[in-house]
Amino acid sequence: MTATVEPTTATSGPDPPLAEARRGFGADLWRAVARNRKALAGLVLLVFFLVLAVFPGQIAPHDPQAESYLPGLGPSSHHWFGTTAYGQDVLSQLIWGTRQSVVIAFAVGGLATVLAVLIGVSAAYLGGVADGLLSLLTDVLLVIPIFPLIIVIAAYEKNSGLFTLVIVLGALGWSYGARQLRSQTLSLRTRDFLESARVRGERKLYVIVFEILPTMTSLIVATFLGGALYAVLAAAGLQFIGLGDPSSQSWGTMLYWAENNEALGANMVLWAIMPGICVAGLGAAFALLNYAFDEISNPALRMRRLDRTIRGSSKGDRVDVSVDPERILEVRGLTVAYASDEGPVVAVERVDFDVNRGEFLGIVGESGCGKSTLLYAITRLLGPPFAGEIMEGQIVFQGRDMVALTERQLRHIRWREFSVVMQSAMNALNPVLTIAAQMRDVCKTHSNMTAKEIEERSKEVLRLVSIDPIHLHSYPHQLSGGMRQRAMIAMALLFTPDLIVMDEPTSALDVVGQRSLMVQIKELQKRLGFAVVFVTHDMSLVSHFSDRLLVMYAAHVAEFGKTRQLFDQPRHPYTRALLEAFPSIRGPRVHLLGIPGSPPDLARPPAGCRFSPRCPHVMARCRSAQPPLFDVDGDLVRCILYEKGAAPDATLATASEGAV
Amino acid sequence: MTEPLLRTVGLTRHFRVGKLLSRQSLHAVDDVDLTIGKGEIVALVGESGSGKSTIARLLARVYKPTKGEIYFEGRPLSRLRSRKRRLAYSSDVPMVFQDPYSSINPAYRVVHGIARALRLHRGGLGRKGRRGEVERVLDAVGLVPAAAAARKFPYELSGGQRQRVGFAQALAFRPKLIIADEPVSMLDVSIRIGILNLMSELREREGVSFLYITHDVASARYIADRVLVMYAGHLVEEGPTEDVLQRPKHPYTQLLLSAVPDPRAELGVSDKTDVGEAPKVVDPKEGCRFQPRCPYAIARCETETPVLRELGTRRLVACHVAEADPQDLLDGNDAGNEQSVAGRVGRR
Repeated sequence: MTATVEPTTATSGPDPPLAEARRGFGADLWRAVARNRKALAGLVLLVFFLVLAVFPGQIAPHDPQAESYLPGLGPSSHHWFGTTAYGQDVLSQLIWGTRQSVVIAFAVGGLATVLAVLIGVSAAYLGGVADGLLSLLTDVLLVIPIFPLIIVIAAYEKNSGLFTLVIVLGALGWSYGARQLRSQTLSLRTRDFLESARVRGERKLYVIVFEILPTMTSLIVATFLGGALYAVLAAAGLQFIGLGDPSSQSWGTMLYWAENNEALGANMVLWAIMPGICVAGLGAAFALLNYAFDEISNPALRMRRLDRTIRGSSKGDRVDVSVDPERILEVRGLTVAYASDEGPVVAVERVDFDVNRGEFLGIVGESGCGKSTLLYAITRLLGPPFAGEIMEGQIVFQGRDMVALTERQLRHIRWREFSVVMQSAMNALNPVLTIAAQMRDVCKTHSNMTAKEIEERSKEVLRLVSIDPIHLHSYPHQLSGGMRQRAMIAMALLFTPDLIVMDEPTSALDVVGQRSLMVQIKELQKRLGFAVVFVTHDMSLVSHFSDRLLVMYAAHVAEFGKTRQLFDQPRHPYTRALLEAFPSIRGPRVHLLGIPGSPPDLARPPAGCRFSPRCPHVMARCRSAQPPLFDVDGDLVRCILYEKGAAPDATLATASEGAV
Repeated sequence: MTEPLLRTVGLTRHFRVGKLLSRQSLHAVDDVDLTIGKGEIVALVGESGSGKSTIARLLARVYKPTKGEIYFEGRPLSRLRSRKRRLAYSSDVPMVFQDPYSSINPAYRVVHGIARALRLHRGGLGRKGRRGEVERVLDAVGLVPAAAAARKFPYELSGGQRQRVGFAQALAFRPKLIIADEPVSMLDVSIRIGILNLMSELREREGVSFLYITHDVASARYIADRVLVMYAGHLVEEGPTEDVLQRPKHPYTQLLLSAVPDPRAELGVSDKTDVGEAPKVVDPKEGCRFQPRCPYAIARCETETPVLRELGTRRLVACHVAEADPQDLLDGNDAGNEQSVAGRVGRR
């Protein structure tokens, strides 16, 4: 999120300049690391071991191999961790042993990563037979138990030293990473930026190395860290069971000798314990860095919580706010916020509206105005991963306060009394289940219908949305975009709910599909009598279908009134701007400007009226005080032009029109 | 007639579909002849699945044609053998993609795509010249200050700004024709107009031609000089934009127009509408491909594929009915009363 502003045209009107570019990516990364405790802890540990590994001669107090002290000494100021059964200083051995573990970690991690990248990415990018063979190799390596195999190979190559150890561990440790990189590359392969590079005329190798790999940095780093962790543990294990070079200086070898001399029973406890602690410490450093990297590159994993000031009314389910039985949904003072690194972001602020039985309510506004948040709030779908919280307000649905309901109580009314149709049917439907199976899941969760009843009902709802019931046993990908969206609506109708909430259900369709879906929704509504709350950024789409319109801008209600009145006589400058933002197929061709700028960053909303920075009628007062909602002939408008209730049409002469 | 900037003759692309041994083929684009003049904005409209995007990818040389030929400035593309010649063509005819969230590499700053294009296609520029050119194209698409915009990462930009980056990348080639594949359909309605205005400005200032691919007839009317209507792999109507949209002759064009939501029209819902969809054309038989959805279909439509014929000045229509009886049946179905057309289409 940035505070930058979208310029509308290059020449017409002064362009709001882009905000100065942020500090570089490196600086961002550094800040993210500094804020992440796991990253800091991991980094401190790793640096500690690196220093030991690089400068053992300067740090170690004694020669690690010299058998020049009394054997089996306890800890003292001269020998912090005591001496071995051969009279060597344990601390010095530990410090000198660090080098080998660190070398193994980095060498094996690096080797495994290179192999994983080579094999995983080329398998996915080349496809066909190459992919088949490489994937087979990867899978075989994944299923055979690695550690026994390593033991067998290491035993065969006994006493062969560091180099062999690195090669063996590296050659066997790449498969997991390769598999992940392959599937990531597969999902990238159809992305437009790769096609764009090919259209530009880039060669294959350039595309792989410079376009695909950089987008997978986090996965590659994770592969490296995971490989390093595995190498430290595996090497220590092998040396402990005597499969390394027993004369080498390493933690595993120390463990081997300590075990041979029964150190634990012979008052040389630290000789046996300290190498283990070091292995654990270095392993922890890699594991912490791995977790931290995951979190930094995928912010959704970070759990943040907001303190809720007020929750809904009493714990009971019935409240008597709504006395009118015709009023199916009543929202009062609803405020929703998201947690962010820069404090809470209020995405919906003190919103009031209501929906009558059988009504079609449109909620319109640009992206980032809070309309989807409002929708998730009234359906109580704000849980993870959205991490939004209802801070204040009431949502009274059929006499119950939705804010106070528990998940259990919600399950009773979800789908039966209200249902939701999501934006993209391809994402909302499960691609590996047939439509029938998905309908069955819904029915089983929310009722105890028999299999036969479910089948009958499923066919019935498909017929309702004009899909031939033979498609009941189709998978989502076998249906066209329009049919998938219809199938979603059919699922929403399974229990004939009183309210269906729709989040831009037509935005993935072309105009013909859009129109026919809208007509279908309206027809079903007439027949079955459910109410619809319809969220969209395209005001023209709902113009012929909705009874009332709620225009949202920057978390607030900007205007709320009857659709016809709103289109004939838009009052808020934002509503006017929205209406004038798209071309028409009728009338004279006019030059349009759209709405200059873009909606504000809700983390830093402007003072005063939130539309003031983009408003063609802005006055000094607009920048200081937030206007309340004014009632103008039953239409609610948040604009001080309507303070006296009058309609100052003269002042609102459309500024943005002019013949082409 | 002078040679147009780009011309296709019998452009055809089939895809093999089905199981390993199946010989079925999907006719994505069949026998398309289109021309794009210098400095012209041509809109190619049609439903999803009509073959619009396949044409874009054929022209951008992502796909090879199954049959037919593309002539650019009079020279056939199939003769471009050397990498150098092919690079020269891709810099003359770059493409802007539909989804601004997937068309820019997220790992690089904005400058990356533009600078790569300059390196590949305009090697003589040198380091300094490249920087100047990066700023010039960013400036031209309205991303100002350009130096700051160049240093941003895609995640710092809004959808509209990303799409401007797409146009800036295309401009870096000093192109003659930009293929814009649904460049606004993923954007908010309120910022679409900015991108459309940008395209007409680039035409004025840089003299670039555009092939604007869309399903939104209203936006095509806003910027295009000429419109081509596509259905199920065939061109079914073409002509000057105002002509086609005010007096559509092909029943499919009428259906497309009737679907455009228009709040300026009288409020009210027509009770029936067409629920058909553009078919996937697998091993087609003779006959008009729109015939199953067409309210005016006659016997001949089932047996004989209509071809584009001239009906009126600069108007081409592929429809037996419109051809045989241009006055009676189709006339008067102008944009004014297309609700009734939607009704008629639906009742069949």
